[in-house]
Amino acid sequence: MLRFVGRRALYAVPLILVVIILMFSMLHLIPGDPVQALVGDYPVPPAYRQAIEEKYRLNDPFLVQVSNYLINVAKGDFGFSYQNQRAVLDLILERAPRTILLASVSFALAIPLGMAIGVAAGTTRSAGTDKFWTTTTLIVYAVPTFWLGQLLVMFFALHLGWLPTQGIGPMVSRAQGFAWLLEKLRYLALPVLAFGIHEGMRVARIMRASVIDTISQGYIITARAKGLTRGQIIRRHVLRNSSLPLVTIAGYAFGSALGGAVFLETVFTWPGLGLLLVDSIRLRDNMMVIGVVIFSALAVVAMNLIVDLLYAALDPRIRTVR
Amino acid sequence: MAYTNKLNHARTTLKTSALSLLAGTISLCAISAALADDGTPVKGGTVIATLNATTIPNLNTQMTSAVPPLHAADVWADGLMTYDSGGNRLPRLATRWEISDDGKTYTFHIREGVKWSDGKPFSAVDVAFTLEAFGKFNTYLTKLIPLIEKVSAPDEKTFVLQLKQPLTATLDLFDKEVFPLMPKHIYEGKDVATHPANLAPVGLGPFKFDKWVSGQSITFVRNPYYWEAPKPYLDSVVFALIPNAQQRLNALINGEVNWFRPEVVQVPATQQAAKKGTIRVVQIMTNAPETAVIDFNLRRAPMNNVKVRQALFHAIDRQRIVRDVYQGLAETAKSAIPTQFKNLHDTSINYDTMYGYDIKRAGTLLDEAGYPLKDGKRFQIELALPAVAPYDALAQVVQAQWTALGIDVKLSALDQQIWINKVYTQHDFDASIIALTGRSNPVLGVDRSFVCNQSSVPYANPTGYCNPEFDKVASLASAVPLDQQKAHYKTYAEIIARDLNQIALTNAQAFEAVTTNFKNLDAQFNFSFNTHPNWAEAWLPKDKQ
Repeated sequence: MLRFVGRRALYAVPLILVVIILMFSMLHLIPGDPVQALVGDYPVPPAYRQAIEEKYRLNDPFLVQVSNYLINVAKGDFGFSYQNQRAVLDLILERAPRTILLASVSFALAIPLGMAIGVAAGTTRSAGTDKFWTTTTLIVYAVPTFWLGQLLVMFFALHLGWLPTQGIGPMVSRAQGFAWLLEKLRYLALPVLAFGIHEGMRVARIMRASVIDTISQGYIITARAKGLTRGQIIRRHVLRNSSLPLVTIAGYAFGSALGGAVFLETVFTWPGLGLLLVDSIRLRDNMMVIGVVIFSALAVVAMNLIVDLLYAALDPRIRTVR
Repeated sequence: MAYTNKLNHARTTLKTSALSLLAGTISLCAISAALADDGTPVKGGTVIATLNATTIPNLNTQMTSAVPPLHAADVWADGLMTYDSGGNRLPRLATRWEISDDGKTYTFHIREGVKWSDGKPFSAVDVAFTLEAFGKFNTYLTKLIPLIEKVSAPDEKTFVLQLKQPLTATLDLFDKEVFPLMPKHIYEGKDVATHPANLAPVGLGPFKFDKWVSGQSITFVRNPYYWEAPKPYLDSVVFALIPNAQQRLNALINGEVNWFRPEVVQVPATQQAAKKGTIRVVQIMTNAPETAVIDFNLRRAPMNNVKVRQALFHAIDRQRIVRDVYQGLAETAKSAIPTQFKNLHDTSINYDTMYGYDIKRAGTLLDEAGYPLKDGKRFQIELALPAVAPYDALAQVVQAQWTALGIDVKLSALDQQIWINKVYTQHDFDASIIALTGRSNPVLGVDRSFVCNQSSVPYANPTGYCNPEFDKVASLASAVPLDQQKAHYKTYAEIIARDLNQIALTNAQAFEAVTTNFKNLDAQFNFSFNTHPNWAEAWLPKDKQ
């Protein structure tokens, strides 16, 4: 097991190398002037340009920049964000928990919701019910999260006034203990709902297909012949066997979300990695962009590893092969 | 029995106490309400304002002209002077100033007994230091710096600026927005361009920097050393970092924030929301308007032909732009010198009459220029723009109107940085849309569109227009005494109206929106564009804190 994890961790090294070189090349090719971004929409005085370019070595040759960065990364230094005036790693460590919170709670909603709908649609004997769920999940899944988010804001925040429109918490708060938690939950509600519903529909569609595939298997017919009830068959055989494709897809989606749910964080001004990435691209804060992308890549690698481990836990056959 | 009596007595006492307490509470409420209503400011409370960004690289507005730091600077920074809503100069840290007869020596008398927000004394030495240390990094001072002969602080209350030659705009370069004062004791001997104090500033404003929550908010608390004591009344100003314009409006409507500056296109929706009485929309005097313009690339055909440029101007229905893009909240620009510069604008140059919407005249001009209609087409051009409001809508209207003339217009709506590179660095465009702020003097915001820009500096004349005759007029206009400036700026506007390297479309109005729970808003909003509330005047009644 440990050898397996160690081997997978080693796979991440060449991946990160490729990510760094690719990102450096792409950012080098994209036109942009970070000093102009600092000054705004007025001409940059030559003295200021010189001071900033010298301080952050913005004019170093491409290969010098890449090699310096690689050496620094090997030492655990992911560079300095000149648009935030802070170490890249510090900012990632500060913003990542916010994104992880949003993604985790959203998936905690999406997975049971999607599984319930998927099982209901996949096991129903009524063609009408199946069609209803298939159509509903397709339509809702087709709604982009940023638009769904706007609709939720319009209804729950602007129309009903129940929830805040944006942000991660109130700007001024004296709440403590349970009141503090409730306050946080109010801010979490709409982004989680938007993300959770969207991902839930994806889960539902995968789950339905998987359930239909599972219930046509011979062992389900055997279970029926043994006299197990419908509920018992679903719980003991269908759910577990249908979950394997779901684990793969949801694991990948969760890993991507950890890298920053860009649209969602933008719609709700959720100051996580997604919003940081958008800002950093806009301001040509290349060190910050590369840092967030590396974190994203690592998140996907880590989630793939977890998916593999979950596979083994869910399917004894895989355990045996390993 | 005695016990029962005691109990009854205790009950009676308790009831009486409860009644007294209730009466006391009611009285307190009444007193509190009275306090709130008698117009006497009370201390306490917080205002939540918004900034249109989540990442702000620098709060020091000596080195940035970006909008979010400018909004924040009104709270923590101060300067020698400012402007009221009528555009009149008001003394701030300079109590008065004198200009020598030859226009080359400016003497500012500095307010005494003032302290920085860290408690250290402020003096004329800090003013001189600010100019010496930051002047070369200040985008607005690029014209002034080469003209400086000497900067001195002969004593703690006098700051003297001596110029090699007169620059009539000099006073306008020392208002608090363009030239916020910086503390010598913080910056001296350090690398000021990247000093940590640029993100945790020490200033002379009513509030002082407290904390920054990454991506979420920046908090300023009452400056105990503020020179206008007992102001400010509020305990703190929190800037919520909300990059999206619609979210800022939503947050205001939903009561999550108290102030934001709506985009012009948002003003009708904000005014609609204000009908409930909880929001007030304030129009800000724009003595420094934001002018939407189209730059032509004179380096390539057909834009190098003045008749083509004239034709393209005639082909634009600017009233329609005012109506459809700005929803009536703008006016057509009249000349290169905005009408808001009342002492400099000459009404005899008027684009409305010179280049009124006339598609027939436009067609004739293009025919004369050698671009007749062939199979319904004349030529193709690329119109570049930053892909943000209102440029997208503006470009679409212009595209439709030029297309009607037989011009094939390709829109290139680009990321701001790519647009900068394309237009200002590569010069790979035919026409380009942008809105430029004129600020309080042509030297600050207007000259940059027309004066020769051979070094391809962004946000300065990208058209390739280099006219020594014009550059001389611009230089002279900025140097002659005030009473002679208008004649020179008339020549200035005439040359541009003739050459049209850039056409001015509209001057937009500016608005701010604030929740009505604050008192003394009239005094608080007594300023003109580009200043914003410093929250020293406003206060919150106790019952609303």
